[in-house]
Amino acid sequence: MPPTEKAAAPDPLIQLIIFRLGQEEYAVRIEQVKEVTLTPDIARMPKTPAFVKGIANLRGDIIAVIDLEERFQLREATEELAAHTYTMAIEAKDYTIGVVVREVPQPLSVPQSAIEQTPEFIQEANIHDKYIEGIARIGDRIIVVLDMLKLLTPSEIMQLPASAAS
Amino acid sequence: MSNREQEYRELFMAEALEYYDAMGRHISELERNPADEQALRELFRLMHNLKSNARAMGYTSIGEVAHNMETVFGQLRDGQATFTGNLVPVLFGGIDTLGELIRAVGEEQEVPDVQRLLDNLDKLTRGEEPNLEDEEADDEEDVSRKLELSDLVYIQVRKLDHLMNLMGELIIDRDRILTLSREIDNPALTTAAAHFSRIAEELQYSVMDARLVGVGSLFSKFPRVVRDVATTEGKDVALTLQGEDIQIDRNILQIITDAMLHLVRNAIAHGLETPAEREAAGKPAQGQLILSAQAERDDVLVQVKDDGRGIDVASVRRKAVERGLVTRAAAAQLSEAAVRALLFEPGFSMAKEVTEISGRGVGLDVVKLAIDSLGGQLRVDSVLGQGTTFTLVLPTSIAVKGALLFELDNRSYALPLMHTDSVVSLMPDRFSVVGGVLLTRLQDENVPVVSLRELLHLEGDEPLAPARKSVLQGRQDIIIVNYNNRRLGLIVDRFLRQQDIVVKAMSKPLDIIDLFGGVTLLGSGQVCLVLDVPALTRLFLAKRP
Repeated sequence: MPPTEKAAAPDPLIQLIIFRLGQEEYAVRIEQVKEVTLTPDIARMPKTPAFVKGIANLRGDIIAVIDLEERFQLREATEELAAHTYTMAIEAKDYTIGVVVREVPQPLSVPQSAIEQTPEFIQEANIHDKYIEGIARIGDRIIVVLDMLKLLTPSEIMQLPASAAS
Repeated sequence: MSNREQEYRELFMAEALEYYDAMGRHISELERNPADEQALRELFRLMHNLKSNARAMGYTSIGEVAHNMETVFGQLRDGQATFTGNLVPVLFGGIDTLGELIRAVGEEQEVPDVQRLLDNLDKLTRGEEPNLEDEEADDEEDVSRKLELSDLVYIQVRKLDHLMNLMGELIIDRDRILTLSREIDNPALTTAAAHFSRIAEELQYSVMDARLVGVGSLFSKFPRVVRDVATTEGKDVALTLQGEDIQIDRNILQIITDAMLHLVRNAIAHGLETPAEREAAGKPAQGQLILSAQAERDDVLVQVKDDGRGIDVASVRRKAVERGLVTRAAAAQLSEAAVRALLFEPGFSMAKEVTEISGRGVGLDVVKLAIDSLGGQLRVDSVLGQGTTFTLVLPTSIAVKGALLFELDNRSYALPLMHTDSVVSLMPDRFSVVGGVLLTRLQDENVPVVSLRELLHLEGDEPLAPARKSVLQGRQDIIIVNYNNRRLGLIVDRFLRQQDIVVKAMSKPLDIIDLFGGVTLLGSGQVCLVLDVPALTRLFLAKRP
């Protein structure tokens, strides 16, 4: 980090929750994560995209649970989701959504300046850059910070075959 | 005294006592600041409301006192008098007297004589000095005046909704605990669980009961509506209300409000004829419109009945073909009831002309959707030339529904009993295939049957694959559902049981999938999807091969 000569704006620390999808590390801002639990029993819901795993009962709240590895094709087609996974309950705009992850997500504080905005190489990646808030470089780790609010809009989640019957 | 009268009187008392308390508060403010406009306006309004309520209930003396007080407060408000001198004790005394009168009504006692007070108020109105002799004697009583608290509590519906939701959670936990106690099979636990279950059930009924209101609270809005619509439409209509004291959940009443408005407007605008037409048809010039409610087992039937021209089945049939809702050949086959059911199809409107009130384009399908959302049923009966009756079959309470649980692909699903006709288990030889659709004959009627699995797993725009009998292996468990006079058989893997369930709304963003009316949690903690029969039926009709 370059020394702040002007000392005008101090570099604030940002709290992230880091999780793995495929081989890479991703993050969301901690304030968007409501809680992390062992993935509860999920009821598959017909007429939803395949990456929507279904609905689950999270302490009395019924929430949709999605698999981002499947959404962004970050997993080999043959590879199944592990038997025991964790679910992060994420606060979208006006609902909560569960995101399945393989390992326990970890908190991490990074200085604001470590997050680079709109990097160019990302265009080639699987995740469309509009969902990416920035890339955090911590030592030799590269962490993709996702903008969950954009990722979890109803139209994103219900994509393609959305409206069923009527 | 009838129940309804008793209820009205309790409501009057609750409001009157509340007004009385507010009057006491405002007149004290007025004493501190005689020019307090806010207090004057409030006092005027309170007197006015009390007067109207009292007169409606036939409590003349309260009405008279409130009327005279209103006049004085009106003058004060308009600056024609000031809150000074002898006017002050008369008004304070007047409010005390109102309190006594209200209490007397509440205790069904003789009401005190108010002539002197009325005379004094009259004098004030004319700008004369009131007669204040003997006034001292009254004050003795005032010291021993009782403080009254109302027996009724006003409560926001929001709070009741919250109670109801908590109740739903509790019922789910109750089922869970009952399941666990059966598995663990410990006598002490079983007894405690049974007791808990009983208390939870009683609590549930108490909470449901607290939410019930008389259908009359909605019906009472209609005399005015009917008058206005009839005037605009040039019709002469006599409105009769029946069964106003039938109880129903307040939110259900709220949801059917628009539907009722629509049906009533429809009945006047399109059902009832003009006086001239009626006389020409040999009917009395005045048309009859009846709004009625009656309890039927756990349901409430609400009817809108007119003695107008009735529904012309031939005309509906023709129009349905024009609109492409059914083919000409199919239309000819339909029974009269089935043809009338076409009225509820989206976009079907019988209105020949655009009227200011009924408008165009908004059809009975809107009414149907409102009733569907409650898990209710909408029926129409009509005799040409004699009139039409719309019947709304509504649940008394929204939270708990009877449902049939079944299994499909190792998961539990629920179907509301309201839309379940019957369940049958049939061998493959009982089916035939006509035009790619599986049919079975039940009670002299051909009922289409479809594999629920195939229906649920259809992708995008593809239609259902033509049915083949060869895939049916062994006994088939079939649930016959009924929606808008159409029966449809759904093949499931296994029937489970019948159970009361608490339906939770589908969470966003999945709520746009209309095939599911919601979810419920089973005793095992498992999430169970609740199927929506109207949407399933529509899906089948759209996708059949």
